[in-house]
Amino acid sequence: MAYAYLFKYIIIGDTGVGKSCLLLQFTDKRFQPVHDLTIGVEFGARMITIDGKQIKLQIWDTAGQESFRSITRSYYRGAAGALLVYDITRRDTFNHLTTWLEDARQHSNSNMVIMLIGNKSDLESRREVKKEEGEAFAREHGLIFMETSAKTASNVEEAFINTAKEIYEKIQEGVFDINNEANGIKIGPQHPTTNSTLPGSQGGQQAGGGCC
Amino acid sequence: MSDSESTAADGSEAATPSPAAPDVAPDVAPTRKARRRPDAAAPAEAEGAPTAEPPAQTSSESTVSQGGWGYWGSWGKSILSTATATVATVGQGLTQVIEKAETSLGIPSPTELSAQVEEEEQQGDDSSKTDTLAADGSSTVGSAMGMLSSLSSVVQSTGKTVLSGGLDALEFIGKKTMDVIAEGDPGFKKTKGLMNRNATLSQVLREAKEREELQSAEKESSDCEKRVVAHYGMLFDEFQGLSHLEALEILSRESESKVKSVLMTLSGNELVELRDELDQIKDSFSLVEFDDEDVDESKDEDGTEFEKEVTEALEQLSVSFTADKLSTACKTACSQINDMSQTDKKEDEGEEEARKPVSVEEVHAAAIRSLAELTARSIELFHKLSELILFSSSSADPSVLSQLVVVLCKEVSLLSKKFTTCLAAAGLNEKGDILNPLITGVFLEASNSASYIQDAFQLLMPILEISHIQKRAESTQHKLILFDSMGEGKFNC
Repeated sequence: MAYAYLFKYIIIGDTGVGKSCLLLQFTDKRFQPVHDLTIGVEFGARMITIDGKQIKLQIWDTAGQESFRSITRSYYRGAAGALLVYDITRRDTFNHLTTWLEDARQHSNSNMVIMLIGNKSDLESRREVKKEEGEAFAREHGLIFMETSAKTASNVEEAFINTAKEIYEKIQEGVFDINNEANGIKIGPQHPTTNSTLPGSQGGQQAGGGCC
Repeated sequence: MSDSESTAADGSEAATPSPAAPDVAPDVAPTRKARRRPDAAAPAEAEGAPTAEPPAQTSSESTVSQGGWGYWGSWGKSILSTATATVATVGQGLTQVIEKAETSLGIPSPTELSAQVEEEEQQGDDSSKTDTLAADGSSTVGSAMGMLSSLSSVVQSTGKTVLSGGLDALEFIGKKTMDVIAEGDPGFKKTKGLMNRNATLSQVLREAKEREELQSAEKESSDCEKRVVAHYGMLFDEFQGLSHLEALEILSRESESKVKSVLMTLSGNELVELRDELDQIKDSFSLVEFDDEDVDESKDEDGTEFEKEVTEALEQLSVSFTADKLSTACKTACSQINDMSQTDKKEDEGEEEARKPVSVEEVHAAAIRSLAELTARSIELFHKLSELILFSSSSADPSVLSQLVVVLCKEVSLLSKKFTTCLAAAGLNEKGDILNPLITGVFLEASNSASYIQDAFQLLMPILEISHIQKRAESTQHKLILFDSMGEGKFNC
């Protein structure tokens, strides 16, 4: 239950590219073909292990609709990682990446690790954006890149975990100041001297409760 | 009150005649609980600073937050009356409190003291003391008095004043007792810190949760006790309550600074006018009050009443939104309560085919879980409403929102009453020192829940203010662009 670190992630990208589905696949390991439009932001959390350490990912899944942009931008701050998602079957979602990237860079800390995700890789027949294009965009802008399918779960784990690995490495390198929560990283609860006990387990007298 | 309590106490007294300690002194525990909030709030008030935490930082807001605290008066009352309702078992809680307090104060054990008193009474010396009480309850109450007077000379010697004397005695014990009690409630100490420190609500809750996580981790490693333990903070986080709260805080802070910058650009009449309008919004935030005397335990068996009230409130808001998660949470809680009470009834009838009886720990865990879920969903609702209000720049009527808060707090109170009734029924055969901390725990978390809901509600104020400013700007054709885009939509959650 206890974790060494907590990383805050944001998921951004055009509406309908599958942000909420990626999250659902990652946290619940299931796929829901029809998803309600996200209002503002929704949340998910999962524990992963990196380098033998428990890391809790707290994921902020933002609404993709243009009209929510002014609100969702407020949530970028304090994220350690971002998944920037486009839909490989819709060229326009790829074309908007620059705007998303500018937005993300402007409203979050400069060390934020960004993973570019080309989602819906299961729909090969309807592909409009070549994998090479995604790779090229990522290289150009210093992003990590992956194609995923929230439907088949292909690469979904990897996308979230590789982002965490990158953040973890940055922590080891001292790039991230882990004591500054604005970086989207929190150190897990420490094990100092806490001696409060649970209800009823410590009374004035030993309560003869049949334990052990 | 004293009648019923004496009788109740007598029942347990009869079962265990001489070691009076575990059964004595039925009167004060509920009061103690009832006073917890005011106690906790008092130091903060004494420090002069705004009573509440960061959401209310400006001076104008401090009145608002005081409005929030004023609410605790009635909350206290409600706990008191609830406690009275479940007198048979709740009453015994005092023993727990006093035992703990004594242990830490180094005062002779209640058993000794009460034994003394009993002796005296048997000699008939003190018969006047207990005149006002039902005769058969006298020895019990007497022993309580003996104990209390050792704590404080304030204690008077007639039955009536035992109550207030007991209170004063507890006042004397003061903080010490609070700390002792807090040991029974892992998250409480941190929560209490809420009133004293300059931290945001979500920080406070997060810390409480982290402490609990640590503790349960420790428990796992040294698992001597295999109890069903419910941690409010962890559950609250599990239901994403913390995240929604954090996001709501972000929106609230940003709106607040936007309001400020708008006010900076105005002057003269325009400024005065806007200030007045904003003050009206502020006023509705300070007027949240509800009388829990009205909370009728028999009402709303399955949560449909609650759903209706929430839906009505939401319909009056111009945003289109349904609170399905909230209703579901409430209905689940209600059906759990019904299930658990049915099991008890079957047990009473001695039917062998009855399901396995629920343990007090199970009822407690269900209660804490339900409270955590309902609170998390309430905060989620506030967060979603904020987003929709900002999104559609609709002007939500603050009085409707405060009505919503009343409905939510009522439900918290109602659920805690039902759950403690269940607990009392399930714990008929339990010792007081097992049952009482659990009952106290439910009341504490219920009171915390209502406090979180209230505090989260205060975060909506700047959001309504900026939304009002936007709307105003639109209508006067001032192209005041605060958010670059607006739209309309209908949503479900």
